[in-house]
Amino acid sequence: MSLNSLLNSAIQFVKDRFPVDKLNYHYMVEKKEVPVHKMSWGYYTGGLTMFFFMIQVITGLFLLFYYQPTVSEANVSVEYINKYVAGGSLVRNMHAWSSSCMIFCAVIHLLTAFAMKSFVKPREITWIAGVLLLFITFTFGFTGYLLPWNQIAVNATKVGLQSIEYIGEYLPGQLAEIPRIIRETFQGEASVGQSTLGRFYALHVVILPLTLVSLLGLHLLSVQIHGMSQGVDVPAKKSEKFMSIFIFKDLSLWAFIFLCLFTVSLCIPFDSFLPYPLLAPYNPLGSTPAGIKPEWYFFFVYYPLELLPFWVILLASMAVVGVLIFTPWIFKGTTRKTLGFITILISIYLIVMTIFGEQIYELFKH
Amino acid sequence: MSFSNTEKIENRRGNPIMQRYKTARLFFALLMGLLLSLCTPQQTKAYPEYQSFVEKNSKRSINCAMCHVNESGPVGNGPGQLSSLSEEDMKQLNKARVALEPASGVKSPILNDFGNKIINAVGKRKFLEYKSAPEKLAPALGSESDLDGDGIPDAQEYLDGTDPLNKFHGDPIRLFWINLNRYKTHVILTVLAVISINLGLLNLVKGISSIQKK
Amino acid sequence: MTNTLLFIVLPYLAVFACAFGSIYRIKKEPMSYSSLSSQFLENHGLLWGSLPWHLGILLILLAHILAFLFPSFWQTLTSNQVLLMAIEAIGFGLSILCLIGLVVLGIRRLTSPRIQAVTTPMDLLVIALLLAQVGLGAAIAVHCKWGSAWCSGTTTPYLWSLVLFQPDLSNIEDLPILVKAHIVCAWFFILIIPFSRLVHLFAVPIEYLFRPPQQVVWNNSRKLNEETPAFAKEETRRHFLNAFLGIGFGAFLLSVGTLSKVFSFFFGPRLSEKEETELMEVRLAHLESTVDQKKLELERQASKYIMVAPITELNPTAGKYFIDYKMQPAIAFKGKDGYPLLISAKCTHLGCTVGNKVDSEGRILCPCHVSYFNIETGQPNAEAPAKTPLGHLPWVIMDEQGKVMASRDNKGQTSCFVQPDALSAGKVYIAKSLEDKTT
Repeated sequence: MSLNSLLNSAIQFVKDRFPVDKLNYHYMVEKKEVPVHKMSWGYYTGGLTMFFFMIQVITGLFLLFYYQPTVSEANVSVEYINKYVAGGSLVRNMHAWSSSCMIFCAVIHLLTAFAMKSFVKPREITWIAGVLLLFITFTFGFTGYLLPWNQIAVNATKVGLQSIEYIGEYLPGQLAEIPRIIRETFQGEASVGQSTLGRFYALHVVILPLTLVSLLGLHLLSVQIHGMSQGVDVPAKKSEKFMSIFIFKDLSLWAFIFLCLFTVSLCIPFDSFLPYPLLAPYNPLGSTPAGIKPEWYFFFVYYPLELLPFWVILLASMAVVGVLIFTPWIFKGTTRKTLGFITILISIYLIVMTIFGEQIYELFKH
Repeated sequence: MSFSNTEKIENRRGNPIMQRYKTARLFFALLMGLLLSLCTPQQTKAYPEYQSFVEKNSKRSINCAMCHVNESGPVGNGPGQLSSLSEEDMKQLNKARVALEPASGVKSPILNDFGNKIINAVGKRKFLEYKSAPEKLAPALGSESDLDGDGIPDAQEYLDGTDPLNKFHGDPIRLFWINLNRYKTHVILTVLAVISINLGLLNLVKGISSIQKK
Repeated sequence: MTNTLLFIVLPYLAVFACAFGSIYRIKKEPMSYSSLSSQFLENHGLLWGSLPWHLGILLILLAHILAFLFPSFWQTLTSNQVLLMAIEAIGFGLSILCLIGLVVLGIRRLTSPRIQAVTTPMDLLVIALLLAQVGLGAAIAVHCKWGSAWCSGTTTPYLWSLVLFQPDLSNIEDLPILVKAHIVCAWFFILIIPFSRLVHLFAVPIEYLFRPPQQVVWNNSRKLNEETPAFAKEETRRHFLNAFLGIGFGAFLLSVGTLSKVFSFFFGPRLSEKEETELMEVRLAHLESTVDQKKLELERQASKYIMVAPITELNPTAGKYFIDYKMQPAIAFKGKDGYPLLISAKCTHLGCTVGNKVDSEGRILCPCHVSYFNIETGQPNAEAPAKTPLGHLPWVIMDEQGKVMASRDNKGQTSCFVQPDALSAGKVYIAKSLEDKTT
């Protein structure tokens, strides 16, 4: 293939994904239709994820007014928000609950998009942007976990960061040092301390949101250009206008979900699920309390990590990331039936590991 | 909490012994603190029967901070630990130690509000008796007292292994029902608002679809 | 005397007249029992006048009736400051809405020629009285603040005393003239109900709200073609109106609920002195522990030796924590050979701090992922997630004068320069010179 034809096919690729003639309000909004069929609920999951993200932005901005990212003040300022600021505990609680909900919805969105085969040409960019968004969302969870600077926050972060260094054992010669260097770059110093807090804070409140918003823009733009994918094998007979039927249905779902989120945040403090010794301010000189574990949404990788040799997990997660990114090409020819089957298997794995991970771990370890 | 905090507090109280240490003072103090705060289980848990009962009963891990000032129990140099007490505190402590009967009104410096509540509610004699049957402590505490005001009585928080002094910590299900009742006006008003909005949106969708049909 | 006349005689007279008048009218002239709708004659002004007027007055009347029928419930509602503000604000807003509606209706009565034809002097009187009454109500809301709160102690008991036939004016005698006028005006209304179109009050077509929409079907085919789209348009408009009302009300409720809280969130707490003190203490403690941490770091930067413990304090089973030159935790034991045994406490698995209690097999436990390390060799147990052993630290023993009595280098070589018994007087140190070689 000559250089010229390579260039041409590259241009064609971009042209197909971003057809400039469709970049107008009429095409992207007025003409857009949403198919109605038995999997239609899948079309709502993405919007829901975005809704939770908006809640995160708003509550996050609220918390920003009182939170102080220093090792001596972080925990006190979180306590201050909880105890003294009017509505502070509700805002903080909403931020915590909504973060979990956001990750949950993002995963569901990925799974339904996969099962509905919404990633085939010309929607590859949408899919890849979506996968990156999911990774960013997980990174949000990881960086945000450290900020309250309590026992579980710091110790779980330590454990999480230390796993990076483990990769070094599988690298030859000089390369073995690289993971340690990467970890210390994130950490900012030899152990988790003020530099780490500062870095995580910067990531959590500035860098990640900016990245997420720009990627989200790309994601939404390509969703609007190409319209909703059919999602089922036999094209649906019915469809509804995106503007303004679907969008108002979406809003009405959001209103209902807001009610649920509000009630739960008002009534159940998110921290209640943890034993209280883990919520004490971080003590750098004491021993690590028992029961350190990551947030529930990391269980699907955490418990296997505890049970299996590290290299298995390393290979598996690299494979998963690779497959996720190249899904549009790998599963190009797979039928929706097979995709659905794969999705069900993955869902079962995720559900079992998240809910019964601890029991499985106990079963094999003791 | 490292020992050094206490040390400063003691300095403020003018304990002359501590003045002698100069350069190695801080480090030494720190090590002492660490050792004492983490010494053998028999020493740290003044009444390990209660802790192991609560942990078994609630399947939550707890520490001494449920009843004591210091999370590592009463022995040590840290805040609220025996070796850091002032003379005044020691007097209080000795009073508390002989408070065999309930309602003695003592305030032991090594116990937190919940610990003192126990001693005042059941008395030291009963408390020592219950060591062999820690589950009896809960009914003895009664269901009226709720020190943190989260709606779950202290006795229940003791059984649940949750922090009886933290308003934002308790059994999630219990807290849900209590708070739902506590904030019912807010919830009802929000339900009303959301129902109203959703009815409105439903009508909007109907209206728009009837326009679009034409 | 005037008071008795206006507040006792007039009410009974009004109610009596209203009851009998209405019944008389329904018996004699049942067809006149209506609001005498003028919708056929003029529709546009009616929409902009009648709708706001009826919406406003119905809600206001509802609140009046609520306050009268359930005074204690009403009192609980109004004792909440935020709710009271909301009630007052809504009430005032609604009264303005009523006034606007009335003005539109009044102008319509006076300007539309078709309406003029059916307007009686009674209609004009009714509009004027209504204007006065609603205006009085709005004026009360402005001048005699929190009427919704004080009414339960004044006008409600007065009304109940009338109902129970034990008229008691003591509660309203001292009320401002505005309020009294409002009450008198109200009795006048009840009085004129049977003589005006106000009689439609008793014939509110509530069932209209629940019955399915009906369509007038014309026999004439031209009319039929004209009317069907109009009917559909009417229905669409109803949907939009409902949508507007529903979303508007919901959004209003939500914003009333959140705005004050958002404001107080940003206004920030104003702590009591006690709370402030407590907070300061906690803050100070945190700062002090940070300072201590920094001091430790500085000490490790600057000093050549750091004392771990006097050798006599070391114990073979309960280790003593200390911080090594790399700011990592480590534990000091007394080894089997009688020399100190210094071992890193940073778990080689994921860096948790290992416990300091030696079990019966000579091992210490990392609580995070259950690795047991042998303190003599540093090796983890076979099933442990940790694979590499904990490192031992070199040490020196020095006496009071700083003379080295014994030392162990980082290869584990021990050298002793005094009689072993003399060691008990020494103190164990970690030395920078020994550490540096290891890194």
